[in-house]
Amino acid sequence: MSAQERRPENDGRDFADAMWSVPSSLLAGMAIYGGLGWLLDRWLGMSAFFPIGVVLGVVLGGYLVYRKFGR
Amino acid sequence: MNALTVLLAPAGDQFGAPTPEELFNLPPIIPGVYWFTKPVLLAMLSAVLVIGVTWAAFAKPKLVPRGVQNAVELGYMFVRDQVARPFLGKDADRWMGLLVSVFFLVLVWNLMGVVPVLQFPVASHIAFPAVLALVIYGLKVYLGIKHQGGVGYFKNMMFPPGLPKPIYFLLAPIEFLSNMIIAPFTHAVRLFANMFAGHMLLAFFSMVGFWFLFEKLTPLGAPVGVVGVVMTILLTGLEIFIQYLQAFLFAMLAAMYIGGSLHPEH
Repeated sequence: MSAQERRPENDGRDFADAMWSVPSSLLAGMAIYGGLGWLLDRWLGMSAFFPIGVVLGVVLGGYLVYRKFGR
Repeated sequence: MNALTVLLAPAGDQFGAPTPEELFNLPPIIPGVYWFTKPVLLAMLSAVLVIGVTWAAFAKPKLVPRGVQNAVELGYMFVRDQVARPFLGKDADRWMGLLVSVFFLVLVWNLMGVVPVLQFPVASHIAFPAVLALVIYGLKVYLGIKHQGGVGYFKNMMFPPGLPKPIYFLLAPIEFLSNMIIAPFTHAVRLFANMFAGHMLLAFFSMVGFWFLFEKLTPLGAPVGVVGVVMTILLTGLEIFIQYLQAFLFAMLAAMYIGGSLHPEH
């Protein structure tokens, strides 16, 4: 984060950005990787990849939020 | 006759909770003109009201505001200090026209839900917030491409700096989905769902009060009716707060999307 973005008037923006993108990222992660897992399950005739995908998606979404706003 | 038979009257005589069908699927006001329903009328009324009030307030602005100008300026200051400046910084003044219009329009739409006789929150029909959200979404993408370039916009959105290289492959689709599809969707649905649920709640409790105190007044039903009336009054207060809060959030998210397009994230 550069010095220019450390100005106090940007603090509110950063905080709100983080607040709004947390649920959105988690949801998107679940949808993308859950969806991929579901397709894989359909293709292979299994039922293991959908839950794995959902969990992986949440983890990746959480990781993304952590790296973007965590420090 | 015991208490239970008084409560469980024969079918048709029973209390029925209002269904979404009868609350929201309203008949046309003028028979034959099928598109002209109550929400459409209220949306037009809201637009006229917002234009009229802001016109009255700002057509001949005085340095020391009085009357209408004083009241509307309070709203303007609120939008500027709480919505525009935190997200747009020095660009705030250029976008005030849009943000004030959006905030006032959504606020009046929502308040229509508790104005006696009118009593219908316009945004509880999803088409209305959806159109507003789509306009903001179009503006967001247009501004992003204009200020960051076609490739740069999507690169800034999907590849936030500071992540290990291989992980981008996994994270870029998440960023894309959350920014381009989930964001505008939740923008509209948040407003719609709050207004829809609020209207259902108010209708239910006022129906309880009306039914047990006027339609079928019984010794056992009367206290239930009183509870219905009290709940209606309390929830109307809560609704007014939520209606104001959702108007604020709608304008705030609009400012956030515009700000994010003007200046790429970190």
